[in-house]
Parts: sequence; structure tokens; C-alpha cells
Amino acid sequence: MSEATVKPTLPNQPVAPAPKPFAPEDEVMLRESLKRCSPSTFEAAIQFRKTGNPDHVPAVVIGVIERFVEPDLRVKLKDADDDLRLVEDLGIDSLTMMEIVILVEDVLQMSINNEELRNLRTVGDVKTFIDCKARGLPLPKPTKFLPIEHIGTVMPIQPPFLFLNEASVSSTSASGKYKITGQEFFLQGHFKDNPVMPASIMLEALGQLAVLYLLEGAPADPGKRVSPLTIFFTGCEGVRAHRVCRPGDILSLSVKPKRMKMPLATFEGSIRVGADKAVIAEEITLTFGFVEIAEAPAPAAAAPTITAPAPAEAAPLRAAVNA
Amino acid sequence: MPRVFITGLGFVTSIGNDAATVVDHLYALRHGFELYPPFQTSDIPCKVVGTIKGFTTDSTDPEDWTFPAAYAIKRELLRSMAPNGLYAHCALLQAIADARLTPPDISNADTGLYAASGGSPYLTHHHHGRLQKVGVMRCSPLGIVASIVGTLNFNLVAAFRIHGASCGFSSACASSAHALGFAFDDLVLGRQKRMFIVGAEDGNRDAILPFAGMRTLSLQTDPGIASRPFDAARDGFVGTGGATVMVLETEDEVARRGVTPYAEVLGWGQASDGHNVAISHPEGLGSAAAMRLALKASRVEPADVEYVNAHATSTLIGDISEARALRTVFGPALPQVAVSSTKALTGHGLSLAGVMESAFCALALRHGFIPGCAHLRTVDPECAGLNLPRATEARPVRTVLKNSSGFGGANVAVLFRRAT
Repeated sequence: MSEATVKPTLPNQPVAPAPKPFAPEDEVMLRESLKRCSPSTFEAAIQFRKTGNPDHVPAVVIGVIERFVEPDLRVKLKDADDDLRLVEDLGIDSLTMMEIVILVEDVLQMSINNEELRNLRTVGDVKTFIDCKARGLPLPKPTKFLPIEHIGTVMPIQPPFLFLNEASVSSTSASGKYKITGQEFFLQGHFKDNPVMPASIMLEALGQLAVLYLLEGAPADPGKRVSPLTIFFTGCEGVRAHRVCRPGDILSLSVKPKRMKMPLATFEGSIRVGADKAVIAEEITLTFGFVEIAEAPAPAAAAPTITAPAPAEAAPLRAAVNA
Repeated sequence: MPRVFITGLGFVTSIGNDAATVVDHLYALRHGFELYPPFQTSDIPCKVVGTIKGFTTDSTDPEDWTFPAAYAIKRELLRSMAPNGLYAHCALLQAIADARLTPPDISNADTGLYAASGGSPYLTHHHHGRLQKVGVMRCSPLGIVASIVGTLNFNLVAAFRIHGASCGFSSACASSAHALGFAFDDLVLGRQKRMFIVGAEDGNRDAILPFAGMRTLSLQTDPGIASRPFDAARDGFVGTGGATVMVLETEDEVARRGVTPYAEVLGWGQASDGHNVAISHPEGLGSAAAMRLALKASRVEPADVEYVNAHATSTLIGDISEARALRTVFGPALPQVAVSSTKALTGHGLSLAGVMESAFCALALRHGFIPGCAHLRTVDPECAGLNLPRATEARPVRTVLKNSSGFGGANVAVLFRRAT
């Protein structure tokens, strides 16, 4: 296995900038299309259309998203990190997503397929996606949202020692949430009459998210997958706790792989509570190993089997129209 | 059988955007017509429209629209509306306030909404134009729900979190009268406790001008005489748009909430001409049958009806048909029953007309007056025998009948009675 790289998951055609030169009437139409966007959005769009330089794409995309977000939520986009979620944080429903896509298509002169939209959950997903389209690069593996039911199914770690309620995993990072309920068994003694989430457990939670990344997000060699039985903790560096976390706090965890070479994977990780920094880990290193993906045995023809329903998939971001 | 009462009204009409203004216009016989700017070109022979004031909806982009500041409507809701959706949303807010309904009264399984509009030809035209111009995959994702018939119920049921019955009615100019009738049935049958009846139309170029080809629009250039039902010189109807919302509730709900109703809905009837796709039956066959069924269902004798708010739109054929139907139904009682068509003041609201004029009846019952026949100078001899008061009569009214008719010869009649 070589150094982990972003692997193409969907075929993608390079999108050439507008084939014909940018004419004055194009500018008029562009101005009309973007009339409710900020002037800087229009500027970025016109630069992209004139030069084809994809560096202008993120400003256009953020500007278009901003235009469709209710005014009182727009402040969130001002210094948005890429983890800002379209549905939960910005109130963008699937129809609004379609409005965004159609305006982006119109302004950047590109076409986006329904399938390509399904896994766009965060502002970062959208920026990366459009950037790849504009540069003609292969698209990153889409971010997968994993509800607790799914996490419990794939993880070697189980309650009461599992510290993830939900997670999103892409090929380049993983993020998750854990709410400290106050019912955790160790809080009875940590501390007496003063429940505080142990820093060691918070580090454990980051490690668990890294495990989930290895199982669900990490690129694997063809025909192989990471085995949950092979993953163990080996070390960590540069761990600092900045904030005391107590029952009721919601931990926002994120890990990003820094290096990945069999059998070691090193991550950087952080935990926030709201806007507060809670924990930083410069390096968390796990060992892992691959197993061959077994061919699914064909069910015996004479003995029909009842298959369990597939685990609920993350709600796809597409217009669900009951027309 | 539970009794059914009208407990709230909301208006965005050519004669006023609130109940008080509408009453003033009905009482004083002040019309809402203007020379409509988009019609003042040489290729458009009809000039007059019952215009909506205080709103501008002459853009295909709802974010360009303006409306009274009292109505705060989020983009999320506006984006899927046609002009008639905006009017209806505002009228529904008024009706809710008028009926003193709280959010829990509105959003529950016992409260439903029936609506009627002709959709939005204006936005249909626009969105199909974009589909042709910019491509199939780039037409607005909300173009359909904003423009097809049904746009009112889609938008309002979602925006107001209605959980009870919802449906759109499409019988052209009888649509919202049908909506009222079936809402009444749902209340009487115990299926619902409260129903909103909504009628609305864009009332703009694309909604009105298609009627020009039938030669049913008045070509009068004087707004003061363009709409004159039953007059010998009438030459067609004048178009209008806007919205009206009526709240119907069962007697138990009226008692529980302690509200004073405008009027009681006694019953209704409907019948079809089975005659022509667009021309009413010359003898008013279906209209007469609808009135008789409504009277029978309401256990009211023709002689007990004091006022008929006629469907009469000021067209040559339609007014005569209705006059004949009235003669048939009322017979010897005809001279005692006052007849007027308030379309002389508002213009013809198409799908909106039935509920708008039923709401006018509710106002007349509460305030004790019969609106006169505005603009009527010489009664068409074919309409002779009707009691057509030229001036408004200020007197307590107890029982009122409302007629509505639509394309295909659909006819609806509804009976109302003063609440106290």
C-alpha cells in the first residue's frame, strides 16, 4: 500500500472554461443571475469566466450558498470552517440545494448530475466538489454519514466504552459528535461530586474516530479491507486539554490522516465544544492490517433466506418530490 | 348533524385588502377597477381590470415582489408561490387573526384546507420559457409547485402546517364554491372540526387575456361602467385577481372558543348543465337544479330567501341563463328576493369568485345590508322580473343564497343565515 492518496470514485470529465470568449452580453446575463449575491461573488464569477482560473471557484460557491441561506444564518458563513453542515447548520433543504446547484451550473457553465449531489453534506464537501469539477480532477470519495446504528455495527469497540453518537467519514477526514450524558460509569468516580470527562477518555474518543476512519474512509488496496481485529493504539504526541468538559457538553471531534503506511496510520485530532477548543492531539498513531474481502457466499437455491433490512443510509441530499 | 359557522374572513381584493374596506366598498357601491397598465397597448382591446392595490407581483421572481409590511414572509415560503399564492397567504393570515385562531388551533388533524385557483399561467409560461432557453435540467426546482393548479393548497398546507384534509378544486368559476360546499360536508360528517376555504387568482395579463378569444371580456374603456351585470348594454366581464379566505367551524368549536360567527352555512347543492363546454344552458337548467338542491338541503323555502348574490358576470349569455333559473326557482316569490351581482364592483375573480362573494354575503349578514346593483341603468328585458335594487339597502338580512357557475356547466348554490 502506497501513501494514501485521494482515489477517484466517480468518472469525471474535465470542465473546460467557456469555449467561446466572454462577451459583453454574457456579463449582462451573469450580472442578472447573481443579482442577489454579494459584489465579490460577481467579481469572482466574472474572473473565472474570463480566465478559467479555478482559484476563483470557492468564492463563487460560498457567495451562491450565502444568497440562499436565511439572512439570520448568514453570519455562520462569514468565518465558516469546512465542517459547517448544509442541512443542520444552514437550514438548506434539498430543494434549496437544487437552487444552489442550478445557479452554480449557470454561473460556472458546468453540469452536475443528481448522483454527484447525494453526499454533499458540508460546505467543505461542496467547495471540494465544485473545485474538482472546475479543475477537471477526479472527485473525492464522498463523505458518508454514519448514524449510531451503523457505527455500532462496524466498530470493534462497543458500549459502554463507545464515545461516538454520529460520524461523517470521507476519504480525507472524519468528524463525529458525542454528548456527555452524565450517565457514563466512570463519571461516578471522576470526580467525587464533580463529574468531569477524563482527558484520557476524550483522547480515546478521538482514537475511536480514527478507527472508524480506517474502517469506513481509508482507501484500501483492491480486494482488501482493513480488519477491525487488527487495529490497536500505539502512541500519541502533543496532547493538550484546553477546557473542562462536563455532562451536557457536546463534543465535536475531528481527525485527519497525516501519514498512512501499513501497518501505521497517524492522525491529527481535535475536539471542540461549540466554539471552544477542548482538546488538541498533534499525533495519534494506530496500527492496522488488511484482510482479503471474502466473496459473499451464494445463498442455496432451495433454501430462501430472509435478509435483514439494510442499515438506514444517510439521507441523500436530493429533492424528494412526492408529486 | 353539527351546524357550521363562518368565524373568520380575510381579503385581498380589488375593493379592499381588509374586511372593513371591503364593507365600505360594498355598501357605497365603490368599484375597484382601473385602466390596467399592461393592457394599454393597441393590440389589446380590453382595458379595464379589477386591480389589487398595495402589492406588486409583476416579476417572475418572488423576491422582487412587494407587499404590505404587516406580512413578513420568508424567502423559503415565497420562492414556491405564484402571485395568487402571495395574495392567499396574506388573506389566510388575516382570516386566522379575524377568527382568533392560535397555532394549535390551526395545526392539528381536525383542521383542513380546501383551495381553488386556476394556477399561474404567468409562471407556467415563464418556467416553460426557461426550460426551452436554458435547458431541461436548469429550470427552477420549484417552478411546478408555484404554477400548476393546486399551487395554493401545496403552499398553504405546508406553510401553515395543516394536518387535516387538503385538496384543490377545479371547476373554473365554480371552484371555490365547490371547495366551500365540500368543506361544509366534511364538517357536517364529523370528519373535520375546522376548514379553511381559499380562493385566489393572479388576475394579471396571462390569467385574464386568454378569455379574450372567447369574446367574453368587456371592451369598455370606462372603469365606471365596464362591469354591469343584467344591464342591457353589458358587453362582457372584467377580470380580477386577489384572494379570499373563509374559516368554517362546527358549532362545538364556536362554543369552545367563544367566538362570534359571521353567519351559519345552512347547506348547498350542485348540478351540471350537461350542455356545452363553455356556454351556460339557455334556461339555466343546472343553476336552477343547484339552487333547488341547496334549498332542500337547507330546509329553506324560496320565499324565505331575502337576497341572492348572483353569479352574473356581465356576459351576454350567462346573465340571462341565471335570470331564467332564478325565475324558475323563485316563481311567485321572485319580486320579494333582492338580487345583485357584486362582480359589478370587483370584476370576475374566476376560481376566486365563489368564496369571495360568499364572504361578501357573510359581511352583508353581519352588518345588515344588501349591496345594490352597481352600474345598472337599463335592465336587459331578458332579465325582467328580477328584483334588482339600484341602491344598497340597509336592513337586517336573515337568509342569503349565493350562486356560482363554471365552465362545463358546473353550478353550485350555497345558503347562509345570520348567526344570531
